[in-house]
Amino acid sequence: MKKLLMWSMMAALSAPLAMPQDKVTVPFRDASRPRKLVVDSLLGSVTVRGYGGQEAIVETTPRAGDGRGRGGGRGGGRGKQTEVPAGMHRIGGNTGGVEITEDNNTINISGGFFSPVDISIQVPTQTSVTVNLVTGRTLTIENISGEVEATNMNGQVNINNVSGSVVAHSMNGKIMVSLNSVMPDKAVSVSTMNGDIDVSLPSAVKANLKLKTDHGGMFTDFDIKVDSTPRPPKVEDRRDKGGPYRVEMGGTTYGTINGGGPEIQFTTFNGNIRIHKK
Amino acid sequence: MTCDEAKILLPEYWSQGLGEAEEIAFEVHLADCEACRTEASRLGSLWKGLALVPAEEPGPQLRGRFYNALSAYRQGLESAARPRWKDKVAAWWPKQPAWQMAASFALLAAGIGIGYGMRGEKPREEVHQLREEVASMRQLVALSLLQQQSASDRLRGVSWAYRAEPSDTEVLSALVSAVKNDSNVNVRLQAVDALHAFAASPMTRQAVVQALPHEKAPIVQVALIDLLVDFKDRDAAGELRKLAATESVDGGVRERAQWAVERLQ
Amino acid sequence: MARVGAGEVAQLAVLFERHHRGLFRYFVSMNRNRDLADDLVQDVFFRMLRYRGSYDPAQSFTAWMYQIARNAGVDQARKRMNDVVDIEEFAERRAELMSPAPGPEETAVRGQDLVLLRRAMDQLPAEKREILVLSRFQAMKYEDIAEVLGCEVGTVKVRVYRAMRALEQIYFTLEKEKAS
Repeated sequence: MKKLLMWSMMAALSAPLAMPQDKVTVPFRDASRPRKLVVDSLLGSVTVRGYGGQEAIVETTPRAGDGRGRGGGRGGGRGKQTEVPAGMHRIGGNTGGVEITEDNNTINISGGFFSPVDISIQVPTQTSVTVNLVTGRTLTIENISGEVEATNMNGQVNINNVSGSVVAHSMNGKIMVSLNSVMPDKAVSVSTMNGDIDVSLPSAVKANLKLKTDHGGMFTDFDIKVDSTPRPPKVEDRRDKGGPYRVEMGGTTYGTINGGGPEIQFTTFNGNIRIHKK
Repeated sequence: MTCDEAKILLPEYWSQGLGEAEEIAFEVHLADCEACRTEASRLGSLWKGLALVPAEEPGPQLRGRFYNALSAYRQGLESAARPRWKDKVAAWWPKQPAWQMAASFALLAAGIGIGYGMRGEKPREEVHQLREEVASMRQLVALSLLQQQSASDRLRGVSWAYRAEPSDTEVLSALVSAVKNDSNVNVRLQAVDALHAFAASPMTRQAVVQALPHEKAPIVQVALIDLLVDFKDRDAAGELRKLAATESVDGGVRERAQWAVERLQ
Repeated sequence: MARVGAGEVAQLAVLFERHHRGLFRYFVSMNRNRDLADDLVQDVFFRMLRYRGSYDPAQSFTAWMYQIARNAGVDQARKRMNDVVDIEEFAERRAELMSPAPGPEETAVRGQDLVLLRRAMDQLPAEKREILVLSRFQAMKYEDIAEVLGCEVGTVKVRVYRAMRALEQIYFTLEKEKAS
């Protein structure tokens, strides 16, 4: 049976300079089962930090002055934010406020659809975190040992001090990742169309690298052994003999660090790839 | 500690470290003894050098041979009356989430739980019968992972799919589905990459051409375009021209599509 | 015949992915023959599958694996004994042909000549080379090495030290030769 808890945090804009922050603590229903946090935001920044507690602590700070009517696609252009009468709060969600729901140990936060909101969340370190941010600001995820999925369409992505899987993408924006470890059951895959990729790894890490940049360079202070064997095999056409037809892949660089380990993947189109020792 | 005692401890000191008391005694001796210090320095530099000697790596055929042999070995060990291998393996497999499965493999591999009674075997008999089993195992892992909720698991599914047989239509379908439908950009991107191995199948080319107009992430669009060029797929020229002409498409993608059209002439 | 089920197959595949490179390096260091090393690696995995009943979970897995590896190596060496005429000379020549050349950055590190170092390794007597491969390249614990070699831990420590001394002498000689 689905039990749904709802909070709504409202942007009370009674005066342009008063930027009230709302702060709410949201428990995960079952402390013993895996926790998940999902954040969807259109406008604004999102920061998620792991901490030692058991609950999620969510703070939102609306940004005034920009974004009025920017989220025009949803619900029509709004030239002016409707003022909230003193002493009251808005009921219901669709006004640029942030909605928080908990369902089966997953906390869902969505907001920033009509006006930008900076959302800052603290969660227990062992939580899986998924953030989808669309426009303009920075997405930061830190101190998390669960699975990290981060997408920021237009803006930078910073992922620090994480030890779980990292799957990150930005269409236009730099991606910075600092990993504590690389494990076979935790995929690390980062891509961006326009932007540099900056990765920090422990100096003793063992990993296989799969790197691609169409316009840019690759730099590292690791001793990387580049694989000169192309994979998959070169073009091989033996169809006339009932054999295989295989194609060589160009442009991707494969290498190993410290003898090799699980594969970590970095792809950019316009941008450099840098791989640092921590 | 005497010189003889101390010198012998050198490699251990460098590699796994000494016990606390021993380490103190050792370091004290070294501080007082120039001969031992000199030896430590000379041998130490060689010791460090050894770690830098490049490791010989096996060629790609090693893995291929192994997996072929493994699949041959496995097949037909059971009697004809055994249940269909697929049901059996499937029953054993997927009720656990993918990460748990991987963890249990890791445990097994670490040596816990290895230990089954075994009678003598005739290698020759085993040799021809495993091929399908292992290919199926890889297929099952790939398919199972590709259906998981977490993008990390699906990415691992794509990397298992790389090792599938080119004739494996189930894995190909799953990859195509991932390219067309997966919600995660990185999964789609890597799935496109994995399709290189399935170049021979017409299903692949069709699927890529179909996926092209629907794909919105520029980095995946570029990968699809490159794949079509690698496949030398002239039929795709029409779709590529359209893409090159569409204003809402990313500039880099349009350029690439244009280049592809020219390459495919 | 006992069943080799999907479980065992999966286990072996996992073990392969984890260990085949280390084993390859071990065999190449001992034999300087890549094809032979290739064969031996295959051999070791199938022996592990076949003899898995003999594995005692209380024992270190790595130690068990390398015991099997050594046995496999010895068996092969016996078979190939007739193939090689002058072992020492052959080993050295092969070594030069087989080694991946370190890049200039690698050679320049801390004034160590890595090419020379590898040659020195190759000229070590097999037993000394082996113990250095196990302790340095495979980074095995002394307890495990003791199990593999069938001796006391204390003996292992002494032997590693003596192997390093021998390596140093050979390296020093090679350096002098190079300079002259």
